[in-house]
Amino acid sequence: MTYEDKLAEFQTRIDAGEKVETNDWMPDDYRLATLKFIEMHANSEVMGALPEREWIPRAPSLRRKMSLTAKVQDEVGHGQLLYRVAEDLGKTREAMFEDLIHGRTKFHNVFHYPTEHWGDVAIIGWLIDGAALVTQRALLDCSYAPYARVMKRICSEEQLHLRHGEDITLELANGTERQRWMFQDGLDRWWEPIMHFYGPPSNPDKDVLLKYRVKSKSNEELRQEFLDHYVPRILDLGFELPDNGLHHDSESGQWIHGEIDWDPFWKVVKGEGPRTEARLSKRRAVWDHHRWVREALSESIWKAA
Amino acid sequence: MDIWEVFQQRGPSDPYVHVGSVLAPDRDVAIVYAKECFFRRMEGRGLWVVRREDVHRLTDPAMLEQVTDKSYRYPEAYRGVVEKREKAHAKYARKDAPKVDSTVAGDEF
Repeated sequence: MTYEDKLAEFQTRIDAGEKVETNDWMPDDYRLATLKFIEMHANSEVMGALPEREWIPRAPSLRRKMSLTAKVQDEVGHGQLLYRVAEDLGKTREAMFEDLIHGRTKFHNVFHYPTEHWGDVAIIGWLIDGAALVTQRALLDCSYAPYARVMKRICSEEQLHLRHGEDITLELANGTERQRWMFQDGLDRWWEPIMHFYGPPSNPDKDVLLKYRVKSKSNEELRQEFLDHYVPRILDLGFELPDNGLHHDSESGQWIHGEIDWDPFWKVVKGEGPRTEARLSKRRAVWDHHRWVREALSESIWKAA
Repeated sequence: MDIWEVFQQRGPSDPYVHVGSVLAPDRDVAIVYAKECFFRRMEGRGLWVVRREDVHRLTDPAMLEQVTDKSYRYPEAYRGVVEKREKAHAKYARKDAPKVDSTVAGDEF
């Protein structure tokens, strides 16, 4: 069987909705693209824990402090699950972490921005986790089965995070003028990064991930799904969206966003986001300080004895 | 470091189900990692870790195929119970026997 035959057979399996397991034959571009995608997802879980982690010491109550800590632990836990799945595609966790902290691989654009106050925690917990859940739900049908399986657990925990975020949001929405201002101020700063969340419009002809059904929805479809779900909910709480072009299209029933300025997005992609370096240097410091823990846990006590 | 496959049991009468894997130097650390990764919310009452190299899988899917007719292993092979029962009833039913509802397809316990 030639490589071309194998490739054709593989594509037929994918098109028929079949799933790929770690030990199955897969073309190199499938393996590489899937690895890169899962690695980026894992990086984003681990880096995404940082903006929220900054607010654990400053949480407004002990209960909020405990729940935010648990949420941050969940996100890091998702990173652990995802690195494990990515490792089986041929890159060690160590190599993935080294690449991340030295800026050789990416993490999600939305985690390159500063957090100014507790209102930002509400935005991240409700809208950014909400945006992430739209993407993650679409991955439940991913052609790479070990990833799809792990996504089931991740999605169920994200569902809880969404409630957690909405709870913080509603507390601010029902609060004092100053509390309502905090949410609105967060919204004003985060709306653009949220519009960038799914990336620029996909080109289905060039997207290997769509071709192989690793992803099943285009960036535009995901963004639309987010807008249609969240815009009415935000307006219902009496907040304003910082997009003059945003309007409801009565024919399609969809919320149409105004023009998106992609320049800040491309800056972040190049590693020049407002907090890119600060967050990476935090990760580098933790990676170095905790080296002894990794070393202590890498040798079996049974071998040492 | 070894890869350890993690299995979870939800309740005492549930089977152990594979949930994922962890990377650990020995079984004790593997159990701690599995607990932290998969059991933060009391997801189960039982937890197994098994070295991946000790898990053996079927590699030839042809082994699952049934080369001869094995329809007798499936309930579809035993259709027509109602008709057969009615036939026997019409011919042999004793006058003093209690009435049986012959329209119920199977004997349900």
